[in-house]
Amino acid sequence: MRYENRQAPEGINVTKVNPLVQFLKFFIASIIVVVLIVVILQVAGGAIAKRIPFKYELQLMDTVDPQLGTTGASREMIAYLNDLAFRVGRELPVDEGISVKVHYSTEEVFNAFATIGGNLLFYRGLLNEMPHENALAMVMAHEIAHVNHRDPVASLGGGVASLIAMSMFTGMSGLAGDFFNKTYSFTGMQFTRRMEETADEAALGAVNALYGHVNGAGVLFEVMGEIKGDSEAIPDWLERFAVTHPLSNDRVSAVRILAAKNGWSSEGETTPLPADFLLWLNRD
Amino acid sequence: MLISNLEILPDHRIVRHLGLVQGSSVRSKHVGRDIMASIKNIFGGELQGYTELLHESREEATERLIQQAQGIGANAVLNVRYSTSSIAAGAAEIFVYGTAVELAQRD
Amino acid sequence: MIEIILFLVFMSCGFIFGQLAEKRHFKSIVEREQQLNSLPVVASRYPPEDTAYHQQLVSGSVVVASDYFKSFTAGLINIFGGVVTPFESLLDRGRREAILRMKAEAGKLNAELVFNVKLETTRIATGRAGAIEVLAYGTAMLPVDAGRANAINSSSANDLSAIDSAPVASGSVPRR
Repeated sequence: MRYENRQAPEGINVTKVNPLVQFLKFFIASIIVVVLIVVILQVAGGAIAKRIPFKYELQLMDTVDPQLGTTGASREMIAYLNDLAFRVGRELPVDEGISVKVHYSTEEVFNAFATIGGNLLFYRGLLNEMPHENALAMVMAHEIAHVNHRDPVASLGGGVASLIAMSMFTGMSGLAGDFFNKTYSFTGMQFTRRMEETADEAALGAVNALYGHVNGAGVLFEVMGEIKGDSEAIPDWLERFAVTHPLSNDRVSAVRILAAKNGWSSEGETTPLPADFLLWLNRD
Repeated sequence: MLISNLEILPDHRIVRHLGLVQGSSVRSKHVGRDIMASIKNIFGGELQGYTELLHESREEATERLIQQAQGIGANAVLNVRYSTSSIAAGAAEIFVYGTAVELAQRD
Repeated sequence: MIEIILFLVFMSCGFIFGQLAEKRHFKSIVEREQQLNSLPVVASRYPPEDTAYHQQLVSGSVVVASDYFKSFTAGLINIFGGVVTPFESLLDRGRREAILRMKAEAGKLNAELVFNVKLETTRIATGRAGAIEVLAYGTAMLPVDAGRANAINSSSANDLSAIDSAPVASGSVPRR
């Protein structure tokens, strides 16, 4: 018996591919797949969630009871906000059975949002920057429009559906998981921006109906642009793609365009805030 | 090409040992199969998608082993062993190796 | 923005250095395989019975890390399924390197043959990139009487001049 070592030919156990070409192929294909899945699930999940009757939203909030707003905050402020919501709501095409409740938080956050069950939360940080009622009414109308469009429940439904699907992807792809998460959230942002734009349009119409003009309605976005500051490092087109809300500058010009399109006057007296507004605001 | 995990074949004589030959294959199933498998994991039972995956891998690895053996002029691979390892989540590697030999019929 | 830049940096580092290292490694593997070619490695269990040998366990192991580019591409491939080519070369490198290290150890002992070689592969998780360990082990057959061994093994099995050969280590005590 003889023993010898013969060298097997090279490359049998290694498939010959160009790594760069292979990477690009799979990179593009996976972006397409992820975007498709997220779009389908956002649309489907959102559509199904919107079919849930509003009263279940209310029941859900009753059971969860998340304690929105600051306890013991100025009653007058809450009463005023709810009164404004009522006046603005009358001017919006609100569907049957949908109701809105406004909460107030004394935290210094420049924000206001709508969540399920028609609950709105306004922060002191935002109210502090409001120069007149017209600006505040615009925010209020915007949030009520979200509730009316069932946006909070739709983004919850679509978000949960696509999140479950994405967790499978990220779990399976190791190092590429982060990349899938980013693609997923960017795709999701495209949806929230669309919601924001429709809400802006509805809100502007309500403000026009309430005051007879849209002067001051865009103030919110001007203030927002000043506070957040447009970052210099990122080009606008890129930033537009990577945010949940449209850029402040874009929203200011959108207000102008919408007003011109619908023939809403942008000239007119702004309505001042109640005389005691600052007093309520500065009370803890 | 004779592939066997025996070392001595009763009717054959080993003329020459030609050293180690190996074949390997790393494969994965698409994410849909992975999802189905994770659902199946709740109920238990055979994960057919993965059975298929490992079967395909094993065939490819064996094919590569045979290619190596042919490349060095062997006509049989003896004492063949398979080993499986998980390289990444959802991807498995099958490795097969054995001794390449030159066999002759025993008179 | 920073994330995108970091990603690009990691990817290009992984690609450039990974490919370079792989090419160099394969080149060195092929060279050393030729150097050690005279020492046959066999997967069979039954050594020749007509020669007297000392036996000693020899082993070689290596841990090879995947680079960022390979791991990322493999993650993408995982979504679609199919042959995970970036890891194929990694495993091939690991396996051949482990066998070479085992052979080098056997060569230092002046072994003639390595019998019953077995290979083990394990995935070692270092962060999320991953690395593999390959262990090769077998029994080195050390000739008791060099002259007799030469007569029987007429092939070039004894030609170890290519590697730096050390005197035969004592007996059959496993080194590990």
